[in-house]
Amino acid sequence: MPAPNSPVNPVPARPDAGVNRRSFLRTSAVLASGLAALAASLAPLRELKDYTSAERFFQKYYKELTPEEMAKVLKRIENEVEQQYGVRPHVRDLKPMDGVEFVYAHNLTRCIGCRKCVHACVAENNQSRNPEIQYIRVLRFPHGSMDMEKAEQFYAPPSVPEPGYFYMPVQCQQCKNPPCVKVCPVHATWQEKDGITVIDYDWCIGCRYCEAACPYWARRFNFTQPSIPKDRLNPNMAYLGNRPRRQGVMEKCHFCIQRTRVGRYPACLEVCPTGARKFGNVLDPNSEVAYILKNKRVFIQLKEEMGTSPRFFYYFDV
Amino acid sequence: MNQQDRASAVLAALTVAFAALTAAFGLNLWGHTPPLPPIPLVESWVTNTATVRTNYADLIRMKADLSDFDCYGCHEKKKPPVLKFDADHNIVVPEEHKDIVMGHGRHNRNNVCYNCHDESNLELVQTRDGRELKLSESTPLCGSCHGPTLRDWEAGVHGRTSGYWDRALGPIDRKPCVSCHNPHAPRFPSRTPAPGPHPLRALTRPMVAEERSH
Repeated sequence: MPAPNSPVNPVPARPDAGVNRRSFLRTSAVLASGLAALAASLAPLRELKDYTSAERFFQKYYKELTPEEMAKVLKRIENEVEQQYGVRPHVRDLKPMDGVEFVYAHNLTRCIGCRKCVHACVAENNQSRNPEIQYIRVLRFPHGSMDMEKAEQFYAPPSVPEPGYFYMPVQCQQCKNPPCVKVCPVHATWQEKDGITVIDYDWCIGCRYCEAACPYWARRFNFTQPSIPKDRLNPNMAYLGNRPRRQGVMEKCHFCIQRTRVGRYPACLEVCPTGARKFGNVLDPNSEVAYILKNKRVFIQLKEEMGTSPRFFYYFDV
Repeated sequence: MNQQDRASAVLAALTVAFAALTAAFGLNLWGHTPPLPPIPLVESWVTNTATVRTNYADLIRMKADLSDFDCYGCHEKKKPPVLKFDADHNIVVPEEHKDIVMGHGRHNRNNVCYNCHDESNLELVQTRDGRELKLSESTPLCGSCHGPTLRDWEAGVHGRTSGYWDRALGPIDRKPCVSCHNPHAPRFPSRTPAPGPHPLRALTRPMVAEERSH
């Protein structure tokens, strides 16, 4: 038995097969460099980081999950978020409250088009910063018109409001008759009994039918892996709400489920410097929104003729 | 050429092919557009929920410098200052109060100090019907003229709210008039808008204008 570093060739020569020391080394050198080149040429595949986990792949439909299974799912999401962002989030599955139907009312007389709602929403709902995903689009109209063709969304004057214009933020209208829900082939989006249309980001297949069906341009698609700086992640999360999304799923405004289903106001309302945004339970006759619908000049609903019956109302003060 | 040489040649060819692919990916020969420059993050004022101004009650709570509100540091008690008007009946703001811009209403008839300030006690304000109020509780003063707005405010419909829409689960925070309106010039001030949606590659601003004109 020779020592391991003995000069004696460990591979016995087999002249009949034509393999000797030289050809073996040459073949393996060519093979090794070939494999290295193959690995290098497959480099683009390495960017596919977001392959699905077995747990998520075999997860049941949201409405069929038992409370125990839901707890397991929430734990998995918390682990995934912590792994990705280094922050331990608090993910909850919040159910709709009884006797509550949410309605949003926006005061076109007061809105100055400052876009603070857009960015408060991005911060609250963990939207991708790069590429940019925003649920609210603020449209600027010249006075005397509500023609969508005349709306401008890229306005950037030194100060707002500008004379001769008014502003109308558009976000998900939480329709009573939502076309986006009808077209979803996998039932990944549905209307809850408090009026919020939600998306299960783990069930969505990313076909974008709902985006095409929505007359309000309210749905956003994650074309690439969303990116959120770690220090800007909002750790207060809900399963159907603001938990981080992945590439290839739809998202949209959900009236800040993680806030409104525990009784709080949405983020866009709290940041509005003029108080143009009002939100509440329309089934409560003492709520702000019930007062508005009863007493204010309400410009019924956006694109009323579509028959979508939005729960988002625009109104005037005078 | 024996079988072994052929195998080596095939492997060498494959190596060259894959190395070429590597180089091609690296040099981006397929003409993939380069990534966009990163979109800058918004500054903190954009997401700040603070009101436009700080009202007097909040200044007391914050233990801020209240020397501006100490009327009798300069004025004499029981000796109300006399108002001066110019030839057009516009009030002349005295040198000591130069920071006050008078702009209450579109006409000029309300720019008179004693419409709101109490002559007999300068640290109080008075409503139209003679009620005397502390500076920190000025909302009924505004409401004594702006009735419909006060009614809306009481219903939570005018002005800023935060906290809980469900009163059973938590408190609602309703801001008083002077958190947003300067009583001397109450028109809501102009603001710098937050950045709009990023126009990406195609939609530069001149192009938007051009498309609109078609």
